[in-house]
Amino acid sequence: MPESKEQLYAERLKRYTTAMRNGKPDRIPIRPFVAEFICNHTGYTCQEVTQDYQIAFEATRKCCLDYDWDAIVPNMVYLWAGVPQAAGLRYYQIPGIGLDPNIAFNYLEPGEEHAFMRADEYDEFIADPTAFLFNVWLPRVSTDIVAPGQPNTYRNNLAFFKAGLSILSYFNAFGLQVERLRTECGTVSAICGMLKAPLDVLADKFRGYLGLCEDLVVRPEKVRAACEALMPHLLHLAISSADPSKTLPLGFWMHRTCVPFISQEHFDSIHWPTLKPMLEELWRRGHQVLFYAEGKWDAHLDAFAELPEGSIIFHIDRTDPIAAHRALHHKFALSGGVPNHLLAFGTPQQVREYCKKLIDEIGRDGGYIMDASAIMQNDTKVENMKALTDFTREYGVY
Amino acid sequence: MEKKPTPPRPPGVCVPWEEKLKELPPILSREDLVKQSWQNVDGLAYCCAWHIVLSF
Repeated sequence: MPESKEQLYAERLKRYTTAMRNGKPDRIPIRPFVAEFICNHTGYTCQEVTQDYQIAFEATRKCCLDYDWDAIVPNMVYLWAGVPQAAGLRYYQIPGIGLDPNIAFNYLEPGEEHAFMRADEYDEFIADPTAFLFNVWLPRVSTDIVAPGQPNTYRNNLAFFKAGLSILSYFNAFGLQVERLRTECGTVSAICGMLKAPLDVLADKFRGYLGLCEDLVVRPEKVRAACEALMPHLLHLAISSADPSKTLPLGFWMHRTCVPFISQEHFDSIHWPTLKPMLEELWRRGHQVLFYAEGKWDAHLDAFAELPEGSIIFHIDRTDPIAAHRALHHKFALSGGVPNHLLAFGTPQQVREYCKKLIDEIGRDGGYIMDASAIMQNDTKVENMKALTDFTREYGVY
Repeated sequence: MEKKPTPPRPPGVCVPWEEKLKELPPILSREDLVKQSWQNVDGLAYCCAWHIVLSF
């Protein structure tokens, strides 16, 4: 057993980074992306961890002390309600405000007729995305911000101050949380920084999924141009938030840009050509990317295999683990794969059996990190999390 | 990544320094410091605004 938290941290960091580089560490690292699961373990409500990020930080550290995890996201609940409240964002449903305090926060996507960007506004967006953001998008997504030319208000002026200060105070607090995870728990921060694909951003925050589907058929050239306009901004944000030491990967959250949400043709002609160059540029700068591939990505594994060796870690949600292993493992590490429904509704014995199967199938040669398929909310049972952790520690030894 | 034409407002910038400089009286010393402080805070505003899109 390590003598100190610092020694424990060093062991875990070595284990985690070795696996991410597709090597074989002493044993399989455990890196559970626990969001509102922390409520189950600590007794806090979803409202408490969402409204007070210090409570979420504390609950995360408590979990790290009680489970033998190698790496974790410093706050996977992620949303601190102070930010949307300061900016007046319309697209959140926050626990405790018109929503049961024990239900996790939700994104609300407006209907096509109320999309935050209209179909006839592509050219304005493409010409200057940052100006569009301030002049058109923010006034639409906020209850307080008014568009240029409209009568100014006290609440408009205040919203910009409050939004900026809330984001800075929240982001700055992560530094101390990462340090406390290291010194008090010996736990590694699993990721650093943020990347999203242009097409996902366009759907998530501007056109909505249904609007984007129509655009892909009616005006695909505009969609491609909008994605190209987003690329330099998303790359800049990824680089500026990445780990300067290049040890930890950027988190890349993949939503609805796979078949059948979009067609293979649109993946090939729009999504991949506007994503792949960013990934290659990040790797050229030494930054690995964690492909958090939410959903089922079997149709695109061959495309991902084109990326430079070691440049990504592919996370398995609904993708077939064996297919992912066959297509990618010769170049990249894999993570995840334990179904969330099993963690929510199964028994500890079923969880142990599934973990064994998964380790035998894709984790025997190293380059594998244990995790659930998707982010764990408060439907994950404590006893199942304990089973996943303890079994992996016991069986996942090389 | 393939070089594209520079957009009117490049990544990391809300109000370009060159645009702001035209509004100021003559800078009599250390323009580099004035430029740096302008760009640092301008970049923070850029990150905050874009992180609402990306992260929140």
